Amino acid sequence: MPELRKDPVVGRWVIVSTERSRRPDEFSTFKHEDAKELPCPFCEGNESQTPPEIYAIRQKSTYKNSPGWELRVVPSIAPFLRIEGDLDRHGKGMYDLMNGIGAHEIVVETNKHVANMADLTEAQISKVITCYIDRMQDLEKDTRFKYVLIFKNYGYSAGGSKLRHSRSQLIATPVNPKRVKEELAGAREYYNYHERCIFCDLIKQELASKERVIVEVDGFVAVTPFAARFPFEIWILPKKHSCNFVNLDMPSRDNLARIMKIVLSKLKKGLNDPPYNYIIHTAPFRRQKVGYWKSIDNDFHWHIEIMPRLTRVAGFEWGTGFYICPLPPEDGAKFLREIEV
Amino acid sequence: MAELRRDPVVGRWVIVDTDYPHRPEDFDYEQNAPQSTSTCPFCYGSESMTPPEIEAIRDRETQRNSPGWQVRVIPNKFPALQVEGDLDRRGIGIYDVSNGIGAHEVLIETPYHGKDIPDLLNQEVEDFLRMYVRRCLDLKKDGRLKYIMVFRNYGSAAGASLEHPHTQIVALPMVPKNALEEIEGAKHFFEYRERCIFCDMIRQEMQDKERVIAENKYFLAFCPFVSRFPFETWIIPKKHSGHFCQITQDEMPELAVVLKDVISKMKKIFPNLSYNYIIHSSPVNSDSNVEFYHWHIEFMPKLTRVAGFEWGTGFYLDQTSPELAAQYLRSVKE
Repeated sequence: MPELRKDPVVGRWVIVSTERSRRPDEFSTFKHEDAKELPCPFCEGNESQTPPEIYAIRQKSTYKNSPGWELRVVPSIAPFLRIEGDLDRHGKGMYDLMNGIGAHEIVVETNKHVANMADLTEAQISKVITCYIDRMQDLEKDTRFKYVLIFKNYGYSAGGSKLRHSRSQLIATPVNPKRVKEELAGAREYYNYHERCIFCDLIKQELASKERVIVEVDGFVAVTPFAARFPFEIWILPKKHSCNFVNLDMPSRDNLARIMKIVLSKLKKGLNDPPYNYIIHTAPFRRQKVGYWKSIDNDFHWHIEIMPRLTRVAGFEWGTGFYICPLPPEDGAKFLREIEV
Repeated sequence: MAELRRDPVVGRWVIVDTDYPHRPEDFDYEQNAPQSTSTCPFCYGSESMTPPEIEAIRDRETQRNSPGWQVRVIPNKFPALQVEGDLDRRGIGIYDVSNGIGAHEVLIETPYHGKDIPDLLNQEVEDFLRMYVRRCLDLKKDGRLKYIMVFRNYGSAAGASLEHPHTQIVALPMVPKNALEEIEGAKHFFEYRERCIFCDMIRQEMQDKERVIAENKYFLAFCPFVSRFPFETWIIPKKHSGHFCQITQDEMPELAVVLKDVISKMKKIFPNLSYNYIIHSSPVNSDSNVEFYHWHIEFMPKLTRVAGFEWGTGFYLDQTSPELAAQYLRSVKE
């Protein structure tokens, strides 16, 4: 009998199929499509092929937009949203619209042509984390923005391009996105009732039962969530309560880099380098609406969600928001736990 | 400058690229190619490979589970949900679980392996649509079920696991989140204005005309103002009706015509297209009192890949404005 599980935060139901389950290793049938050998605009030496850099970690006495960097942030050449202009909201009959103000930046995570973040060093991943934090703090100064989404599309079927140079993206939006609001609202509701953070409760339960824990490092835990939408979906959570990713101190950044490297390497090794997305779920900018974010410091808990793209989302999922996960998360966690990296 | 549009029903924002809109030839979509030909369980002669049929339209004097049918409904061999048993909800610490009570049926629209909807006669389309209604009415009798979803995945890129065209019908013991959001949004509008939001939308679309693709006596096909996907298309009954089951005898042939027309146009522009469509309808049984909801079909061509941004935000990026998409679709010659 399949089991229906409910995500405790946003209330989404997931069907965990137990009978038809494929074995974990049956999911790894993926082939990456590579771009033909183009000169990569993200490699060191090709800086002139990208728009001028916004941020870089580079050696002393090197110039902007020239070699000598370890990490670089550039505006997207095909931005979803544009930085120039004022916000203009208006109506059109019954419809509401707004101009596309925002920021869309590309974090080039390494100067070498490495495809998967799993193959970067821990030190380099830690720099990527620092860069995310610096960029978020900078974008927060722009009062037009309410939220910054940091995410990665690795591999073509995860929405990445065929150009395989490890990078992530950062999009600042002028409204709080719907999914973010749902998650915040769910966490707040739980807090109002229990006066505890739902994610802290979740971590406690996962650490006690252990069956969905993949790996633990100092300060962080990686689990497959109870109501996973996708096979091998992974959440990385800080054990210490904090609503804002930006407040992460230096030693914690290194620990986060360590667990990310372990988890991504396990995925790569165990599932034959699958495409994946990850998304950092963190608190929105809190400057407007005095009193509105009253309990967010207590009720929300930032985390990273990693979604390997091994199945296709079809009509059922689109129509209902109900997911069918063909692999119980307990089996996924066990499989990943046992991969040696 | 791109334009951000807010869905009036569920409040989702969509970014519409108005600067450099994609033309149909700009989409690099996964072509639906014929798969290797092992025996298809949905073709004539393979009836014994599927679970026993629930219902069928078949020639007189032909036996159940044998050839001679035109439309056939069977239980899903790998059901996400099962009819047997009692609903059992429980908690595990902070988590909630329920057993998978429900129904999961497969409706085979035609015995012809290679025929998609545009290749069928109008009458054949009408026949399988009638079967949709019959199945919904039958499933509704089970009081445990709260929501019935009829959807079709065509092509492997759209998640179809078998090549032979088919529709799936899922009956759930709860109203799923996305449907609930839509219903809540429509309810909110109704409470405020005492009008159906979808009726208002139809009125505005018929007036604006720029997003309309096709129209007949009872139905309107248009690209919604807040399309999540390029070339997304809705087919909606012009007359207010909450549940798909309530479709009338007069409306049925017209629905067949407009559905076939939309998919034909779509496939002329995008050969070997994979797509999904979903019938959005009111819940059934105890949750069915929804005068403010208006059933419709949402058709989603699979032209793009959903990536991290969409997952994370619920924000979608539409590279072809619905106005432009409607223009392309309108101009397809028969």
